[in-house]
Amino acid sequence: MIQQIVRVENQLGLHARAAAKLVRIASRFISRISLSREGAPRQIDAKSILGILMLAASKGATLIVSIDGSDELEAGEAIRTLFEDKFGEES
Amino acid sequence: MKQEQVFRGIGVSPGIIRGQALKLHSHNRFAFKLYVDDVHLDEEVARLEAAIRLSREQLQSLKSRLAQKVAHEHSFILEAHILMLEDRSLISDIVAAIHGTHANAEWAVLQATEQIRRALASLQDDYLRERASDIDDVAERILANLSGSQHIQWSRLPRDLIVISQDFNPSSFATMDFERVRGLALESGGRTSHTAILSRSLRIPAVMGIQGFLGHVTTGDSLILDGDEGLLVLNPSPERIDGVAEHLAQVEEQAGRGSAVPGAPAASGHDGVHVALRANTDLPHEVAAAKKCGAEGIGLFRTDIYLFMQPDGFPDVQTQAATYALLSKEMSPHPVAVRTLDTGVDITPGRTRPARRYNSIMGLRGIRLSLLERDQFCTQIEAILRAGESGRMEIVLPMVTSLEEIRRAKALIESVRSRIFGNREGIHPIPVGAMIEVPAAVMALDAIAREVDFLCVGTNDLIQYILAVDRGNPEVSHLYQPLHPAVLFALKRIAEVSRTLGIPARVCGEMSANPFFAVLLMGLGFSEFSMNAFAIPTIRKVFQELQPDIAREIARCALCLNSAAEIAEHLLESVSAALHSDLSTFTRELLSSRDNASSPAR
Repeated sequence: MIQQIVRVENQLGLHARAAAKLVRIASRFISRISLSREGAPRQIDAKSILGILMLAASKGATLIVSIDGSDELEAGEAIRTLFEDKFGEES
Repeated sequence: MKQEQVFRGIGVSPGIIRGQALKLHSHNRFAFKLYVDDVHLDEEVARLEAAIRLSREQLQSLKSRLAQKVAHEHSFILEAHILMLEDRSLISDIVAAIHGTHANAEWAVLQATEQIRRALASLQDDYLRERASDIDDVAERILANLSGSQHIQWSRLPRDLIVISQDFNPSSFATMDFERVRGLALESGGRTSHTAILSRSLRIPAVMGIQGFLGHVTTGDSLILDGDEGLLVLNPSPERIDGVAEHLAQVEEQAGRGSAVPGAPAASGHDGVHVALRANTDLPHEVAAAKKCGAEGIGLFRTDIYLFMQPDGFPDVQTQAATYALLSKEMSPHPVAVRTLDTGVDITPGRTRPARRYNSIMGLRGIRLSLLERDQFCTQIEAILRAGESGRMEIVLPMVTSLEEIRRAKALIESVRSRIFGNREGIHPIPVGAMIEVPAAVMALDAIAREVDFLCVGTNDLIQYILAVDRGNPEVSHLYQPLHPAVLFALKRIAEVSRTLGIPARVCGEMSANPFFAVLLMGLGFSEFSMNAFAIPTIRKVFQELQPDIAREIARCALCLNSAAEIAEHLLESVSAALHSDLSTFTRELLSSRDNASSPAR
């Protein structure tokens, strides 16, 4: 089980397109991946687009990613990269 | 106790009813909660999974087609939809709703997606709030794939439904069961829409143009619909329910009276003249009401709506023949008179025909159109002839103005007959009648009547043409006067020619549904009437009470009067005196004749 903190840096926040990308990436891994907003107890499944949309994470939001499973390290890497690349929006 | 809420719209079809809401989603799909028992729950989940799988496949192929045409940028919203369909939290919510509440898949989909829609709609973020419409799209797609081609299981639904929807295509009438759907409340539409016209013809109370009410009402909510005042009441208070109870009881009593005399030995007049009361219909399933009200056959099946509103296009010979045969079986031993296509207007959305065919009352329509473009006419004739092998059918030709038109139409009918039956013996001939609805036909009636087996008097159009008044034009509609002396003169002449030549004449307009007018028509010499089925019990009672010589005397006096107002006054007095029935509900229509005669209705 690993935990990491990511910041939403892209202009639009976790909107449909970013959320879709995140779900696609997260779904590649066997590990259970959940997201929560900093300071909020509610955890959502990173493989659920509806959950991510409901998180309503706009630009500047800080999220805690918890990953648990055999490929948790690779998953953590991939998700961190996605957030750092701003979901490919502003490249 | 939920708070009563009143919404205002336009009453387009009269009547007050109480019932529960049935919410239609786009494309007239809806979900109603059905109980699924334990042994069928797994089946229901499997049905859901198949629909979700199919929905995904559709979106995938849509996405790949779209990706070829537009920039990849725009296909991400489809990607989002696909991911929603793959979202395990959504699917498990739906499955939980099926198992937890023994609900059908459709209902479970709506419940689960409605929760998400609400959650999204409550977010601060404008953009995310709009995603609520995406979940609607997804739900819509699953619903379409769940029950797209399947017939709605009406038999499992309650009998007091009030359909609520944004819009309602005329074609949707064909999919409704009006034993169960008792009213219609829409956000869109107005008095002159086809949907409004159909509601009136089906006697379904309807209110349209109720802005923004759909968000407040869901399937199963308690409603009162008032088509007279144009009101929709959500969660009506006990006081309001009491207030309309008396009215509702009256309506039910009337309906009950109808069912009490099915196929009754009917309204024989006192001197042994048999008075036949038949039903006018626009749609095949109205035959149920016709039967219930004791109609002796279908006196006029106006087929335009049936022919031009099928989702699959103009029905072919087999389809039409099956429909006509079913009607004649239901009505047996009485006949079913099919009026051949009249307006030629295709009102199916997206399949509008060229403008020249639009229903101008003096334009290319009725028999004129059928003789010019024969394919649809001949298809219909073939279907009627084939149905005639197993039941009693009649053909009625609309908009006849001359002898030649009848001869040419009959030649066409004969050519279809010999093509399908050859010289086969034992085929009973199918009577051919003419609509008498144009003044020319009244004036040339001797010649026309000799060429046909019976006459159908279309009073609605005949009055319009005699008085040169388009009823749809509010500037002149007050001049539409059924009791105008010119109209009475024409009716008297038709009755006389009919009697002299021994050719039956049937009054098919709505005039005969009002007791005052019906008495006058009987007095003029008519003995066959076709009207809205629901009017039959009342009119039957009138004819059972009435002495024919009194009717004749009433008509004789009416013919001596010189204005619609005087004739209305005369009927009010003399008919009220001759009958025991309470006629108060019919006096308004009668007196509008008197009061509007000189000035426009305001």
